[in-house]
Amino acid sequence: MCRGGRMFAPTKTWRRWHRKVNVNQKRYAVVSAIAASSIPSLVMARGHRVESVPEMPLVISDSAESIEKTSTAIKVLKEIGAYPDAEKAKDSQAIRPGKGKMRNRRYISRKGPLIVYGTEGAKLVKAFRNIPGVEVANVERLNLLKLAPGGHLGRFVIWTKSAIEKLDSIYGSFEKCSEKKKGYVLPRSKMVNADLARIINSDEVQSVVKPIKKEIKRASLKKNPLKNLNVMLKLNPYAKTARRMALLAEAERVKSKKEKLDKKRKPVSKEELAAAKAAGKAWYKTMISDSDYTEFDNFTKWLGVSQ
Amino acid sequence: MGEEVMAAVPESVLKKQKREEEWELAKKQELAATKKKNAENRKLIFNRAKQYAKEYEEQGKQLVQLKREARLKGGFYVDPEAKLLFIIRIRGINAMHPKTRSILQLLRLRQIFNGVFLKVNKATVNMLHRVEPYVTFGYPNLKSVRELIYKRGFGKLNQQRIPLTDNSVIEQGLGKHGIICVEDLIHEIITVGPHFKEANNFLWPFQLKAPLGGLKKKRNHYVEGGDAGNRENYINELIRRMN
Repeated sequence: MCRGGRMFAPTKTWRRWHRKVNVNQKRYAVVSAIAASSIPSLVMARGHRVESVPEMPLVISDSAESIEKTSTAIKVLKEIGAYPDAEKAKDSQAIRPGKGKMRNRRYISRKGPLIVYGTEGAKLVKAFRNIPGVEVANVERLNLLKLAPGGHLGRFVIWTKSAIEKLDSIYGSFEKCSEKKKGYVLPRSKMVNADLARIINSDEVQSVVKPIKKEIKRASLKKNPLKNLNVMLKLNPYAKTARRMALLAEAERVKSKKEKLDKKRKPVSKEELAAAKAAGKAWYKTMISDSDYTEFDNFTKWLGVSQ
Repeated sequence: MGEEVMAAVPESVLKKQKREEEWELAKKQELAATKKKNAENRKLIFNRAKQYAKEYEEQGKQLVQLKREARLKGGFYVDPEAKLLFIIRIRGINAMHPKTRSILQLLRLRQIFNGVFLKVNKATVNMLHRVEPYVTFGYPNLKSVRELIYKRGFGKLNQQRIPLTDNSVIEQGLGKHGIICVEDLIHEIITVGPHFKEANNFLWPFQLKAPLGGLKKKRNHYVEGGDAGNRENYINELIRRMN
């Protein structure tokens, strides 16, 4: 039998190719891309060579719309400082690495400037379209894929005067509805005043702000008050006098004990010895005399005790 | 021009300078006030500590005197029933009946060799009876209470376990009951005072070390030669070994 079989999950033409995106979101994206194209840092970050461009956004007069020859188009680009960008695109033409080569995506190159014109049927389309890297677009039909190639904001856009003037009517402003797009108003920003430093240093904020805590107290090692006198004193100031009194009392006790012992160990003198013996005898007499034992006489006979 | 020179220092900087001055002044005043208060407090604490020391000495002497009197007459002096207990948990946490487990939690004894003080009344005595095989308890003396609080005393401030390194900690926690220093706290605990509950609850359960020299036999009651249950005054000896 023949081997082989079929591939896993054979690719079908009825794959879902299209995606639905909300109209407002699509417009939001285009509007953001146009705004980004006027910020030189974003445009440079995207990779365009705009060092020699006099101003951003770059607007040229409507006389450019009637350029017919590509050679004059290139001259114009050189005059306005956009040529380095177009040059970069031309120099970057290369064969794609990878399998894309054999899948009808053989060549790749960088993107150059995007020329946006205002009047329909302008001649400049034909003049600029053959320059490698340069693309042309009518203001009324701006393509997001051209304004933010690869999803990265900040394409280098060259506007003509009539194109830039039309923008207001196409997209409206923050208050005015657009004329061309029914009921569309430019999206509002999250923060009207995004300058945080200025907000923080403003009067309204600073008037209710508390002073900075410069000295932060951190937990120190706990020391045992029963061993460390200073820590004990911090907690109980009386401890000093108490300890002092205790030490004095101890010293006193030791002294008196020593005196007592010395006295005992000292050899007793004759007079003291005689006095002690006499005292002992008297004590014995008191012990053996039961003065309040009245029956003694009766018992002397059989007790055998002599007084 | 005069105006131009003024404009060189932005208004915001001037305002900031003024604000900083005000804050510094306020801080200085506050510092002076707290210093004064602290000095006054010190005196008060000293006198209180002295008074307590006298009190304890008196109590001790009185006890000895009463005992001697009774012995002289040929009788016996019976100590009044203790008001204060110190409980130590001596068993671990595995294989416990849920009811006894929750009683130990109520007593704040969640870990082995944790210790707490406890007031004696019918309710607490009955609770202790139910958890007897898991704890050992007794009547602590002044030395035990002092050493426990000084060496292993931590206070509960703002749900945190803060070491008692300064009287301000105690004042913050118990100031409203008139307890402003460690000596006050010890006095409140030992003579089960009117705010014993708050003072005791302020103290975090003591985390004691395993007893040097060991326990006799955890599984048996003290009277059978083991360790569990009420061992009255011998708890002090155990505390010395565990503190």
